[in-house]
Amino acid sequence: MKWKRAMAVCLAMITVGAMALTGCGSKASDAGTAPAADAAESGEAAQSGKEEAASGGKKEVVIWDYFETDAQKEMMQTLIDGFNESQEEYTASHVYVPFADYEKQLTLGVASGELPDIVIMDGCGMASFISMDLFGDISDADINWDEYIQGPMESTMMDGKHYGIPFATNCTALFYNKDMFDAAGIDYPDENTTWDEFREMAKALTKDGVYGFGNAGTNTDEGTFQCLQWLYTAGGSYTDIESGIDAYKLMQEMIEEGSWAKDVVNWTQSDVNNNFMAGNLAMQQNGPWQIPGIEKDAPDLNYGVTVLPKKDASSNQATSILGGENMGVVKKDDTSGAVAFLKYYDQTDVMVEAMKQYGSFPPKTEAAQDAYWTEDEIQASFIQQLATSIPRGPSALWPTYSSAIQTGFQEVMTSAKTPEQAAKDTQAAVDAIE
Amino acid sequence: MGVAFAMPAVIYMLVFIGYPMLQNIILGFKNVDVFTFSKPDMQEFVGLKNYMELFTGKNSILTKSITNTLIFTIGSIFFQFIIGFGLALLFNKKFKGNSFFRGATMISWLLPVTVAGLLFKFMFASTGGIVNQFLTQLHLIDAPIDWLLEPHTAMIAIIIANIWIGIPFNMMLLTTGLTTIPEEIYESCSLDGANRFQRLFQITIPMIKPAIMSVLTLGFVYTFKVFDLVWVMTKGGPVNSTELVSTYAYRLSFEEFQFSKGAAAANVLMIILMVVGCFYIKLINDEEEAM
Repeated sequence: MKWKRAMAVCLAMITVGAMALTGCGSKASDAGTAPAADAAESGEAAQSGKEEAASGGKKEVVIWDYFETDAQKEMMQTLIDGFNESQEEYTASHVYVPFADYEKQLTLGVASGELPDIVIMDGCGMASFISMDLFGDISDADINWDEYIQGPMESTMMDGKHYGIPFATNCTALFYNKDMFDAAGIDYPDENTTWDEFREMAKALTKDGVYGFGNAGTNTDEGTFQCLQWLYTAGGSYTDIESGIDAYKLMQEMIEEGSWAKDVVNWTQSDVNNNFMAGNLAMQQNGPWQIPGIEKDAPDLNYGVTVLPKKDASSNQATSILGGENMGVVKKDDTSGAVAFLKYYDQTDVMVEAMKQYGSFPPKTEAAQDAYWTEDEIQASFIQQLATSIPRGPSALWPTYSSAIQTGFQEVMTSAKTPEQAAKDTQAAVDAIE
Repeated sequence: MGVAFAMPAVIYMLVFIGYPMLQNIILGFKNVDVFTFSKPDMQEFVGLKNYMELFTGKNSILTKSITNTLIFTIGSIFFQFIIGFGLALLFNKKFKGNSFFRGATMISWLLPVTVAGLLFKFMFASTGGIVNQFLTQLHLIDAPIDWLLEPHTAMIAIIIANIWIGIPFNMMLLTTGLTTIPEEIYESCSLDGANRFQRLFQITIPMIKPAIMSVLTLGFVYTFKVFDLVWVMTKGGPVNSTELVSTYAYRLSFEEFQFSKGAAAANVLMIILMVVGCFYIKLINDEEEAM
């Protein structure tokens, strides 16, 4: 008798539990478009958007981004306001997701179906998410595909199909502190500077509390983004590590000499820039997005920018690695709103205005030639460096490559292995990736 | 009726703990990665392949991270316990300001771990970090130590940070244990002429043995699965020298999108903790029987 009652209670609870669960599930999947803290708010927004749509109002276009600085947020708002005013059919809004959680939230979104209409993300991560079926094929859309710079464009494609457009493009170059060079009586580096000359400069500029050079060597893709160019400039590639062994040698020797900051294995790009602004680095490798920060926090810093040093006098300009963001269209039954937004951004003047605010370069060949960039000495150096910049991958397995490659750099930078051993082991690790 | 009373808890555990665990175990035997993630018909069971690949391989990071996790856990618990026990004995005495200082030591337990991690990251910085400044001022070291940049010292640094965080936990549980010892026992001991050490080793420690065992096993479980502290301070680097099983599992799943391998690594963590858990349950049962 007791048992029967217990079973009845148990069954009732399971039924209730199951109802509660499925109830939650369906609600979450159609209302939620934002993760974590923003979920409730934008969930409501999305729902009200749908209600409007049902009553003949505007359709909602939700964009996820990880833009943190005020300038970036303003740029996004200007862009969205411009789009909303340009047409009657859609209304766009954006949701901030912290960068550290971004790819995790996207992965969870693919699993649960809680996704926006457009995702703005790091170009090198896009291939993985195309493979994971996050993005939809929009090759039929009326976009000026031919006008885009090849490297960034390729990172939005797979097997000849388009899944979005590049949003911003940039690369790293060499920043140098003019005052330190003047004080030491050394000529500024330029496009003819070779690795040997660069090494001599760094050595001469290293003194108490000042390192000749520093870059980001943290053990994430941020580190790979900055370190990989040395490997390419030495003649290697992301699948051919051993041909770039000279890069390993240069790094290890310079760190042992003390002219390349050994702290770099723990530095992110902001750490590098902070040290450059504080006068702890005579030269840094960094990107154009740091310029607004330098103008704000160290307005008196007397610095210049040039392309990264080339291997030797006979070699071509150094390779740099392309950074920047893509806009991907999330696979949904109705992607018309997302495509409309892409078409709005596809207009060269819109793109140029947005990129001026953002501190990066427009991913169109023609747009990047705007006087705003070519007539500014510092910006022009980045444009020059962009010409020999290549994307990471593209490969759906890029994160695995990146992790293996960065381990190699860290082994060299901490002198855990000789360049020969590190090259051999990293090559083996890269070869093992299917 | 007892069954019915237990039922809500059982159902809760089945749904919110049992189901995810089961899913994770299943995931560990499949081939879910970036290519098969959203194509269920391509997902298949691959047996022990993930585990084989994680454990074999020339430079198995999993094996290394298990060793790292053991070093991290034992190093942390050893000092947390000794310092926590010392403080518990101190605060068991009556003195002015006792409750204030006991409260103050709880700060490190109340602080969010990410905040503590960032603080220690700054403190251990090679240039400008307070730890190096302190040591050079005292002339204990000549040149600054690259705490978070060298593989060995990075491990020491994260252990020191974790010790600081864990001391209050040890102290509180042990203090609670100490309050259960009747004052009369100490009084009769002193009459019999027992000295401080005899009282500590013959009375105090045997009397609070259950509390000590709980602190050690719970401490082991808590420390073994630490993630945020290490993620903030070193992200497992340099060169995997502080990679723990938890950070490695996270890296595999959410940075490299090798979901099945990440699940397999997490399962290894779970199995180790389950062994410790069983040990803990047996210990509690033994104690209850003894009572």
